[in-house]
Amino acid sequence: MKPLKYLYDWIDVRIGARDIVEKELTGYLLPRNINVWYSMGSILLVIFSLQVLTGILLLIHFVPDADKAFTSVSNITNNVPFGWLIHTCHAVGSNMMVLVLLLHMLSVLFMGSYKRPRELNWLTGFTLFTLVQGICLTGYLLPWSQLSFWATTVATNSVNAIPVVGSFLVEFLRGGKLVGPATLGRFFALHVAVIPVAIAALVGAHLFLLQRTGVSTPPFGIKDSSNPWKGDTYRYEEHPGGIPFFPNYMLDDLRSISIYLACFLGVVFFAPHVFFPATAFLPANPYLTPAHIKPEWYFLANYQTLKIFPSEIIGLAIQGAAMTFLALLPFIDRGAEKHPLKRPVFMVCAIGGLLLWIGLTIWGHYS
Amino acid sequence: MENDGRRNFLGICLGGLATLAAAAVSFPVFRYLAPRSSKVTNGKVTILEKDMPEGEAKFFEFAGSSAVLVRKRGGELTALSAVCTHLGCIVQWEKDKQDFLCPCHAGRFTPEGVVISGPPPKALTKIPFVVTNGTITVG
Ligand code: HEM
Ligand code: FES
Repeated sequence: MKPLKYLYDWIDVRIGARDIVEKELTGYLLPRNINVWYSMGSILLVIFSLQVLTGILLLIHFVPDADKAFTSVSNITNNVPFGWLIHTCHAVGSNMMVLVLLLHMLSVLFMGSYKRPRELNWLTGFTLFTLVQGICLTGYLLPWSQLSFWATTVATNSVNAIPVVGSFLVEFLRGGKLVGPATLGRFFALHVAVIPVAIAALVGAHLFLLQRTGVSTPPFGIKDSSNPWKGDTYRYEEHPGGIPFFPNYMLDDLRSISIYLACFLGVVFFAPHVFFPATAFLPANPYLTPAHIKPEWYFLANYQTLKIFPSEIIGLAIQGAAMTFLALLPFIDRGAEKHPLKRPVFMVCAIGGLLLWIGLTIWGHYS
Repeated sequence: MENDGRRNFLGICLGGLATLAAAAVSFPVFRYLAPRSSKVTNGKVTILEKDMPEGEAKFFEFAGSSAVLVRKRGGELTALSAVCTHLGCIVQWEKDKQDFLCPCHAGRFTPEGVVISGPPPKALTKIPFVVTNGTITVG
């Protein structure tokens, strides 16, 4: 350990490493009643890193060309050593990311952490949510299977309902009248360059904001669960006498991450086909629409909403309104109380909305 | 004190588990990235004798690398590695001069692979071959 201590001293006298550790790790105190839901953000960081890593590995063998994409993916899964593992991890990981993202959002919702002064955390988070949906959608097309091709056709087609500019937008999205090689080119660029960089930048902003506001106090297990924010001047939310982030909460984070990884690897090894229907193994054929084309589970509610309404524009408008409402929630729900049981209106709307979403998803799955 | 002992023990267990996990991740990633051994068909290449006129050379892939078969004026055959012994460029056959030129730093070799001039430190590697009923089998 001597040489390590020497190295640490060497760095410390130059850049004040101990100061940083004292301030951001051992001296960074978290509320005593912090709970496991506060680990969702760390799990998301791990998932995103794994997606980047497996994605880079896939890039080595993937060929973004409509004639070769499908065979290049088959080559990865069938011939390249452990290619099946990398590919399955990437595909399952994308689904897990959406799932954990939803849990993170729900915990923030129920604990009222989106309330001031954390509106910007919520807004950057919400933008991350749409970007993750975008990266999933664009990645879905890349294997150029029947599933990718037709799911993308249906998804991009819904934009058609927008009045006046709809048909132009669809063509612009696809790079042509129909989904084709031009679509693959632009979706590939979005999926591997534009969106990941945007996500990384926004995660940076998200964490910066967290660092400036300080972690919120969970509303559970304390007498006064109302928002302590006064709004007269900037104040970092401190937690005197709290739990040090390092090593205490970091170990909690590591435990949550390990449990997540166990679930993730469980799916990868024992149930990978949950996420691969049979049409995922057929090369795209633009002249043959397979029966029962469905989007991924997290888009089923959107899909079903579009189907219920006789006019697509109404279905689209309702979804747009719901998303806008959710994005602006911290500005609409301005009450000081944070405990969910003391917020009856919020609880009714949140649980009602959640049940509606689950109901539409199940309906979409069976319709 | 007793606590310190436990703490060290748990720390070592954790470190061991982390090392195992790292190994379990590194092995597939290494295998995924490692070059695949090229499917060598019993390591031999056959060329018909009638495809090898006098004064000509024929380049081909051999054991995952480049090789050349040359028939000198006068009829003698030689099989050589085409990889220059200087910095690994592929040599070219100069039909008019009847020698090999490495275009990278102008190394020159005779049809037998012996260095004539330039930086290459040693001769091109010879590859064994046999001729039977008009077929040349290299390797
Ligand atoms: C790539 C996606 C995301 C990553 C990597 C991420 C990461 C994090 C991390 C590490 C934290 C701090 C620890 C914690 O409370 O979990 C956090 C806090 C927070 N996140 Fe996210 N997040 C993401 C998406 C979202 C989304 C979609 C929302 C909501 C729309 C959101 C809203 C918030 C809020 C309001 C906080 C502050 C919580 C507090 O201080 O109690 N985040 N995020
Ligand atoms: S590599 Fe052939 S002469 Fe330098």
